[in-house]
Amino acid sequence: MLKKKILIVDDEKSFTNLLKLNLEETGNYEVRVENWAEDALTAAKQFKPDLILLDIIMPRLPGGNVAALIKETPELRDTPIVFLTAAVRRHQVEENDGIICDFPCIAKPATVEMVIEAIEKHARRQPASVQ
Amino acid sequence: MEKTTKILFLGPKEEEHRRLQDLLQERSSRNFDLSHVPDLMAGYEILSQDKFDLILLSVSGGADDGVARLEALHLRFPNVPIIALGDADDENFAVQTMRKGAEEYLIATQIAGPLLRRSIRYAIERHRAEEKLVASEAFYHSLVENLPQNIFRKNLDEQFTFANKNFCSVVGQPLENIIGKTDFDFFPAPLAEKYQRDDRYVIQTGRIFETVEENVSPAGDKRYVNVVKTPIYDAKGNIIGIQGIFWDITERKQWEERLQRANADLARSEAALRKSHEDLKAAQAQLIQAEKMESIGTLAAGVAHEVKNPLAILMMGINYLAKKLGDDDALSTILRDMKEAIYRADSIARGLLEFSSSHQLNVSPADLNSLIEETLRLVRHTFTEQRITLVKDLKPDLPQVQVDKNQLQQVFVNIIMNAIHAMPQGGQITVRTYARQLTETTHFEGSRKGDRIWVGDRVVIAEFEDTGSGIPDEHLSKVFDPFFTTKPTGVGTGLGLPVSKRIIDLHGGNLDLRNKTESRGVRATITLKGHRTTYA
Repeated sequence: MLKKKILIVDDEKSFTNLLKLNLEETGNYEVRVENWAEDALTAAKQFKPDLILLDIIMPRLPGGNVAALIKETPELRDTPIVFLTAAVRRHQVEENDGIICDFPCIAKPATVEMVIEAIEKHARRQPASVQ
Repeated sequence: MEKTTKILFLGPKEEEHRRLQDLLQERSSRNFDLSHVPDLMAGYEILSQDKFDLILLSVSGGADDGVARLEALHLRFPNVPIIALGDADDENFAVQTMRKGAEEYLIATQIAGPLLRRSIRYAIERHRAEEKLVASEAFYHSLVENLPQNIFRKNLDEQFTFANKNFCSVVGQPLENIIGKTDFDFFPAPLAEKYQRDDRYVIQTGRIFETVEENVSPAGDKRYVNVVKTPIYDAKGNIIGIQGIFWDITERKQWEERLQRANADLARSEAALRKSHEDLKAAQAQLIQAEKMESIGTLAAGVAHEVKNPLAILMMGINYLAKKLGDDDALSTILRDMKEAIYRADSIARGLLEFSSSHQLNVSPADLNSLIEETLRLVRHTFTEQRITLVKDLKPDLPQVQVDKNQLQQVFVNIIMNAIHAMPQGGQITVRTYARQLTETTHFEGSRKGDRIWVGDRVVIAEFEDTGSGIPDEHLSKVFDPFFTTKPTGVGTGLGLPVSKRIIDLHGGNLDLRNKTESRGVRATITLKGHRTTYA
């Protein structure tokens, strides 16, 4: 089974490192991290992730804008995006069926289990893993 | 010097004139000046020219003729007293002359000097007194008849003995048809009974009775009548009847009513003015509060974000360590505690956000009792754990309230949890609901309290009482301040009451927390405006 490719875009270095470690520990995911929002688009084009975990409040370029850029890029248009942010409250997420601003959303501080659950729910199915 | 008494003798006989002259002159200390005319025509003439103190009128020679002359003379000169001189010793005739105006009847042949002089003196005195009496009577008569009031008198048998012109016209009968009749002859039975009851009160007590009667005229409009009834006494002081005076005061009443209405209008506009002033004050306070909350909100959102990010890092670290450390009991306990600490910190950040963000209420009509019952179901297990007994006193059929059900439940939970925390050794929580009309003005005090609840409003009240140690006086003013808490770290966030207060404020209600005066413990009172349409 092919590992799912996850791109994490978040300015919190320690957070991205630990999340990457946790996800990779499962053996199910190949993880790439970008700590600068401006680099997210380039990284996504190269990495072709099955899902992008995107922080919202980042210096210079907010997550919402990154999401818009990705959706405007033809080859990335179908890449699922999940916001992972401290800017929303957990009950807001729950009350809106996990959707905020048209994108699925996880409220920080989240456990690894919550992140994995969201990935499994929203990640693009890989043709190879369908079998 | 003695005044001369001028006397006119009116009679045909010269010898009689002379005799009278002699009689008057006889040993008299008084001066008499006696003139003589033979007939009525001459009498008229001299009387209209000269002033006489008395007339001696001969009525002899044809009784009828004499009386007729007397009558004519008296009618023409009522101010001059007349003594009739006749031949006949006839009592009936004498009385007849006196009825027609004579002061005295003397039998001409029997007159002696002293008798004549005394009769003259008395006749003049009597006439003078009578004139006074007549004048006085005329004065009172004219008063009674011309006063705008209706005046009547009745005897002890309730029969009318007198009525003035106004009363006659009210009854619609001439006086002679009223005298001797009773109220039952002129008024409907219930009215007549009432009138006579009032009369009896005056007769039995000797007191003045005064009242304002409200009558409906045949035309249908209300008439007010002021009635005064007083007892009538005889010379010995016994009550022999009543006198009533009444008059229409409808117009005065109407003006009074108009004045009252105008006063009420004035009071209303004053109240409206006061209310709009209070509204304005409240709006201003709310504006200030809103601005304050907005800046706190921005700050809180920033703080929450900055706190949550490190928490997220810690969570990821703990997750990673948990996996790496496997099943080591001691270490996983440590990690669990660390995770709990993260949740706690997160809940404080969340509470801060809830407190500061401006809430949008999702209001709908609700039954306060059902909401409380639902909330109690949520916390029931805690009651058992903490050895808390619950006493419920929920009045049925409360007016509905317009509330955000979730938020109000959050308030109830906060207050109940506070009560539980106040009784670590267990105790009793009493939940009470009732509706009432707001009568006191304490809710106007302070700028925030009771912004939208007014005296006279129907309010629904929920009270929660505990049997804990109460709130120290120095803490009472701070219980609604964010982050003020006396609970051990980890038990309270210091935001429960501020958030609750804010939610109730947003509902236009009032949350009040105070120590009970009758026993130990705290009473939290939530006052909400009753929904108008449900108790119409």
